[in-house]
Amino acid sequence: MTIAEAILLTVITAATPLLLAAIGELVVERSGVLNLGVEGMMIMGAATGIAVAILTGSSALGVLGAIAAGMALAALFAVMTLGLAVNQVASGLALTIFGLGLSGVVGARFVGVQREGIGKIDIPVLSDIPFLGRVLFEQDPFVYLSVLLVGGVWWFLNRTKAGLVLRACGENHTSAHALGYPVLRIRLVAILFGGACAGLAGAYLSLVYTPFWTSGMTAGRGWIALAIVVFASWLPWRAALGAYLFGGLTILQLHAQGFGVPVPSQLLAALPYLLTIVVLVLIMRVRQGSTAGPASLGVPFVPDR
Amino acid sequence: MSITRRQLIQGVGAFAGAAALGQNAYSQTNPLNVGFVLIGPVGDFGWSTMHDRGRRRMEEVLGPAVRSTQVESVAPPDFDRVVNQLARNGARLIFTTSFSYFQPTVRVAPTLPNVFFENATGTSTLPNLSIYNSRFYEGRYVQGVIAARKSRSKQIGYIASFPVPEVIHAINTVMRGAWSVDPNMKIRVVWAGAWFNPGREAEAARALVDQGCDVLCQHTDSPAPLQVAQERRVFGFGQASDMTRFAPSAHLTSSVNNWGDYYVSRARAVIDGSWKPGDVWGGLNSGMFSLAPFTNMSPEEVAEATRIRDALAAGTLHPFEGPIVRQDGTTVIPAGQRLNDDQIRSQNYFYRGIDATMPS
Amino acid sequence: MRLVLERRPHVSVRLLVLSPLVAVALTVLCGAVMFAAMGLDPWQALHVYFVMPVSDAWGLQEVAVKATPLILIAVGLALCYQSNNWNIGAEGQFLMGAIAGGWIAIATHGVPNGPWLLPAMLLGGALGGAFLALIPAVLKTRFGANEILTSLMLVYVAEYLLDWLVRGPWRDPGGFNMPQTVTFEPEATIPLLFGDGRLNLGTPIAIVVVIVAAILVARTLKGFEIRLVGEAPRAARFAGFNDRKLTITVFLVSGALAGLAGVIEAAGTIRQLQPAISPGYGFTAIIVAFLGRLNPVGCLVAGVFLAITFIGGENAQITLRLPLDVTRVIQGMLLFFVLACDSLVAYRVRLVSREAVA
Repeated sequence: MTIAEAILLTVITAATPLLLAAIGELVVERSGVLNLGVEGMMIMGAATGIAVAILTGSSALGVLGAIAAGMALAALFAVMTLGLAVNQVASGLALTIFGLGLSGVVGARFVGVQREGIGKIDIPVLSDIPFLGRVLFEQDPFVYLSVLLVGGVWWFLNRTKAGLVLRACGENHTSAHALGYPVLRIRLVAILFGGACAGLAGAYLSLVYTPFWTSGMTAGRGWIALAIVVFASWLPWRAALGAYLFGGLTILQLHAQGFGVPVPSQLLAALPYLLTIVVLVLIMRVRQGSTAGPASLGVPFVPDR
Repeated sequence: MSITRRQLIQGVGAFAGAAALGQNAYSQTNPLNVGFVLIGPVGDFGWSTMHDRGRRRMEEVLGPAVRSTQVESVAPPDFDRVVNQLARNGARLIFTTSFSYFQPTVRVAPTLPNVFFENATGTSTLPNLSIYNSRFYEGRYVQGVIAARKSRSKQIGYIASFPVPEVIHAINTVMRGAWSVDPNMKIRVVWAGAWFNPGREAEAARALVDQGCDVLCQHTDSPAPLQVAQERRVFGFGQASDMTRFAPSAHLTSSVNNWGDYYVSRARAVIDGSWKPGDVWGGLNSGMFSLAPFTNMSPEEVAEATRIRDALAAGTLHPFEGPIVRQDGTTVIPAGQRLNDDQIRSQNYFYRGIDATMPS
Repeated sequence: MRLVLERRPHVSVRLLVLSPLVAVALTVLCGAVMFAAMGLDPWQALHVYFVMPVSDAWGLQEVAVKATPLILIAVGLALCYQSNNWNIGAEGQFLMGAIAGGWIAIATHGVPNGPWLLPAMLLGGALGGAFLALIPAVLKTRFGANEILTSLMLVYVAEYLLDWLVRGPWRDPGGFNMPQTVTFEPEATIPLLFGDGRLNLGTPIAIVVVIVAAILVARTLKGFEIRLVGEAPRAARFAGFNDRKLTITVFLVSGALAGLAGVIEAAGTIRQLQPAISPGYGFTAIIVAFLGRLNPVGCLVAGVFLAITFIGGENAQITLRLPLDVTRVIQGMLLFFVLACDSLVAYRVRLVSREAVA
């Protein structure tokens, strides 16, 4: 395997949890809700995933448990922001803190317990293609799932009526409501989907990437996922690009050190974040006057009958 | 205020009552209350976890003669308050387990003259402040020897945390050990920028393996690099605790922190009134630090590693003997001399032959 | 049958006052249930959490010291949020303030200096924080860039900047290569108020800020502008208020306050710069701002209350061996309940039969 192949492989695995969480949050934000609690849902997914996997001995059940945990927290968020019209920023932050704390409580028994990570799936024949074969066709199931999700979300948002309605709720919830669409119910489904994706991303961390549990193992990835959604200007394929960019920059920075490139490591580490700001500004310059993102993003919706 | 304090002691006593086997004349009228301040979460499975294990061992050995409490993830601004609260809760011996706490401990210790303080990896003492550390570098020497034997690509990968002297002299010593077997050994260093960040450690490990390293050393605390070593079928050394089970076919040995016996001896010293401030830098011979059983090595390799380890423990082998030459060619000490403890503690240059650079 | 939210015709003062009390009561109740489930005496646990921190003079001083940065930052954030400017980057502005003020202390270390040093540091800290806050403000007004994201990204940038400075150019030469600066000289340290406690000048500064902000918001034209821009942006524009200038202004003020909190922490409590000088004050202050209903005096009360829960959490670790995570769970629950109860002040929940929908 050449070093380029190797780097690409690691970039893909580093980017996958970011992409999973980002694609879920993207759907949520397209429906007009800003959920800052991604970090809390992700780490609850990680803790629950490994707890269930260790207790039942089944990785698949662990993954399901993680998804359920993410959705449960998302449901709590939905009750607050949809049911009680509470400010979304505050609810999201509360969710993050609550999720971080709860994950520590759930995972406490499982610190340092070793488990086999979920292995890679090898697609025969195709994976023998030189260079791209291994990169594209010998990955763990989450990587394939993340790509399918990106495609599925793109298709849903752009090619189905339901997706169009969801986007309408995000752009102008009052008009959508006037047209008779159940804005709150649509947002609820979107929020639950976002929670499931965040939980899945967490499961990836604790069941595949570094298969064990320790406190705080998401290390801020939830916040990066939020950045990726904006970086992607809320478009699914751009979210994949953003995730690989962020994952890639982190990996490249580590490789650069190994090769002795004399740039301060902190500068390399800060680069993805600076880049996000730059991209954001560039997007807005191109757009010239329209808002970034769904116009109703973050505004609570209370239908008046 | 006295009512509150009595309630506190009652509360603590009630909680611990279930574990107490009854008062023992070995202790003072009350059991010795020992406090621990941890820089990270107890569940970090690395530095802080090992201090917690040391604390538990102390409780196990000394039984009802001690009572311990600990506070985790204490950020420097909260340090003063936590220490004061521990003292008000009755602690008479407090372990502050991080260099980040050293300056704050130096500041707080004089204000609590009847409490004894012990700072891990600190650099100076006070009448009521002792410092303690492990000679981790002895383990690094052994790791270097083993790595030189096991490596086919002749490249060691080192997942470093920060360019502080402890890490730098560890890297130097690994190579010292490796060069004693094969002078052509090389090392690649990646700075993970954290003492603990499993995802980043895994990424660093992958990067090093991709660049051709086939033995991994880590100065970070999670088992992630070893798991990568297992996955990529290279070798690795564990850190802070015995990590054999995380990488059954990749694990060679681990540097294991054993703070328990030191804590037992210090608590005993307070109980029988013989505590004095000291500067304890314990190596393999002190029990504060040990190497996990050698795995995945041939009998000859095990014999050699054991021999080197025993020589280090006995003091017949010194990793910091001259000649020592910096990367830029200047000589630090000639042959026949040896670096003293302070020089080792402040070593901030790489040896010639190591191609790594320090960040900024 | 389904549940709908109905806006109440007018907000009753009685509910406004009751709501936080009910929220606290619910949190206490859930906390008690959780403690009981963990096998602890709920009364004792509640006492350790909420009563012990304020049960003596030393405890009260500690609460004040812990609450000061939270209050300072939250007051600034409240001004921002009231006018719909979502400054999430207070943590970064806090760090920039510490960096700017710390730079003055380090540059003058060992050099004779006078009483001008400390005010210069405070001013420098405020300017540092304000400068960092200016960036998302300008990006929002000139390019329409989402300020939540830009301010959040700058937090990471500020963290890495502090890390680099403390490990590199500003590293204490006598510090064994450890990542910290020299300890600030006494002239560069915020003075203590009483000899035997940790209460320092930062707390009276915070109180003054609260009073000034309260007067500003309630009684001045600027305060009215802030509230109007937030609640009715179109009306505000008709009234001639320039929302772009206001955005820049509130971000500058908020950044300055966060920076001020940063330099006070660095020069008062820690007395040097290290990578870990903030245990997330900037983010916690966001919660304080919401708990305080975006009102300066409310921020004061909420800051004190949250400080009590932090200190209570430490005490719980010491006396009850409760892990830190439990404290986080309680804080999360508190926020949820307060937000929910506040919502019920503005809205009423009704069960409606389907036929009633128009």
